Amino acid sequence: MTKKTAKSIFWVGTLMSAGIFIWLTVDFHRQEPAYANTDRITDQVVAGKKVWHKYNCNDCHTILGFGGYYAPDMTKAYYRLGPNNIIAIVMEPEKVYKGSFRKMPRLGVTRREAEDLVEFLRWVADIENRGWPPQDEKYVRAARLREKEPHKLQKLDIVLGACGGCHSFENQGRDIAGDFGDIAKETRYNRDTLVRYILDPASVNPDSGMPPQNVSRETAELIADFVLGLR
Amino acid sequence: MTIRYESQKVALPYIQLSLLLFVLQIAMGLWLAVNYAFTLPQWLVDAFSFATARAIHTNLLVAWLLLGFMGGAYFILPVECERELFSTKLAYLQLGLFALAAVTAVVGFLFGWTQGKPLLEIPVPLDLVIVVAALIFIANVLLTVIGAKRRSVIQWMLVGGVVFLALLYLLGIPFYRSLNADYYYWWWVIHLWVEGAWELITASIVAFVVLQVTGVERQVVEKWLYLETGLFLFTGIVGTGHHYYWIGSPDYWLWWGGIFSALEPIPIALMVVDTWLHVRNRRNTMVNRLTWIYIIGLAIYHFLGAGVWGFIHTLPPVNYYTHGSQITVSHGHMAFFGAYALLNLTVFYYALPQFKGIRRYQEKLGQWGFWTMAVSMFFLCLVFGVAGILQTYLERFLDIGYSTAQMTMMFWFKAALFFGAIFLAGAVMTVYHLFTLRPAPKATA
Repeated sequence: MTKKTAKSIFWVGTLMSAGIFIWLTVDFHRQEPAYANTDRITDQVVAGKKVWHKYNCNDCHTILGFGGYYAPDMTKAYYRLGPNNIIAIVMEPEKVYKGSFRKMPRLGVTRREAEDLVEFLRWVADIENRGWPPQDEKYVRAARLREKEPHKLQKLDIVLGACGGCHSFENQGRDIAGDFGDIAKETRYNRDTLVRYILDPASVNPDSGMPPQNVSRETAELIADFVLGLR
Repeated sequence: MTIRYESQKVALPYIQLSLLLFVLQIAMGLWLAVNYAFTLPQWLVDAFSFATARAIHTNLLVAWLLLGFMGGAYFILPVECERELFSTKLAYLQLGLFALAAVTAVVGFLFGWTQGKPLLEIPVPLDLVIVVAALIFIANVLLTVIGAKRRSVIQWMLVGGVVFLALLYLLGIPFYRSLNADYYYWWWVIHLWVEGAWELITASIVAFVVLQVTGVERQVVEKWLYLETGLFLFTGIVGTGHHYYWIGSPDYWLWWGGIFSALEPIPIALMVVDTWLHVRNRRNTMVNRLTWIYIIGLAIYHFLGAGVWGFIHTLPPVNYYTHGSQITVSHGHMAFFGAYALLNLTVFYYALPQFKGIRRYQEKLGQWGFWTMAVSMFFLCLVFGVAGILQTYLERFLDIGYSTAQMTMMFWFKAALFFGAIFLAGAVMTVYHLFTLRPAPKATA
């Protein structure tokens, strides 16, 4: 090969690749509204994104798989945790993660900021990204079924979909607030108390670190039956 | 051997600052490993979070690499252009601005002043300082090349790389309303830097060093340079698509991204081949064995870290499971070490003896430094890789929750801390050796 041939390879290769890339970029923007629901980016979503940047969340958490690997991915966190839990975690991480082997810093997030952040994460969770991350698809499925076709839900799906962000069962879910097997053995609550506890923990036990859960009374009853059934 | 042009001396403070930041970067990396391996008290996490430490670790990486590229460029340009630099004053001013921005950024991170985007945490006002420094650099390089006594491919490749680098940086500055578009352009900075602009700059610097050290024919070196950078850009530009699989994008990215990035190891493999050929067909005698070891080590680790490690998880069906896990950490460390850290150190080992007028230097400590770093980095990446495979398997196949999986990986985080500490020792040896180069006694010559 001569130097001249090599030079042509350089220019042809570079320009061709750049051409393809620019064309794909134009098409990306054309199709972005359908994949990322850009029409749903409200001012509150933007405010939430600014909160996300302000506290540098992305250097511990990944989102869309990018960022720090020190803490769980936040792409589908809205479905994994639900609004109340997200707010409780970002506002009082030292309580939620008291017993955890890994801590989250107290960032001084205000209530307003936490609510904005939830809106942002809600918008992110609906980005059509081919079901990534794989481990969170069960939460997305459960959350969507809960809204539309609750009769199709498996019991375990409901329980883990609602509680798996903090509780575990047979190694599934995230064990920071105890395993359901242990909770079932230890709890002295009856069914009614447990249902009340799920809906508003502080009304039963003022010292509880668990936030009120965003579930309907029926779902709470179902969860209570599940837990008590493990005894 | 001494420096041939007075203005090459501006490279020295660039190189020295670069080396200091390198050691700081590794020290901060160890602190990150401590965060992984042990449970830290809440007050400590509140005062100095993992996020802040990671921002410092990665920004120091970028800073010391860029300082090395800039110093390297200033060192080779006078020789390559057969003239003094356009302006040494501008070069010192640029260094001052760059150092100011870097120091302010790191101190700012400690107080929560951040743009909050991974690797691009530097806030907008400081971005502007960096842009000014970059413009000065471009002007200085360009004006030096324009007035060159002879024309060469290396000069223009360097100019192209520097301009490309600066332009891409601009895309990381604005605020994007959509996270999806944000990350689309984030990769224009990150990916097109490391698999585009940086490759152009480093390939030209390596071509120069190889040319000088081996004494092979310029025509041959420049031919390879064209071929390799051409293939780097051909595969690398569309290869950006391997970052777009899961951000919410049309399906064709899986094909374009997958196929082009599968081809990305080819130019790196060619680099190994041509380095090998040049070393075999050398016309000069091997004066400093260590400099040659660095040149070969650079080619091999570049191929291993960026080529092989990258290829392993670049195809969409694999990446679906490995994306955003410790596998990426493993690849990132090996690739940056192989492609860029070793490149800088190679250039430093070529340049620094010349400032002291040393032809043949005592290399024992440097040998220890190189092998300690090379071996510990290999094991570090192996350990991260095992942690990543575990994570992928536990979380994404067995459906075990994040924290349970992380606790299971604890042994490997501790092992990473262990190998990281060894790497730090190697880095300190290397940097100390570079700062205190001494001529080898005549008897052993």
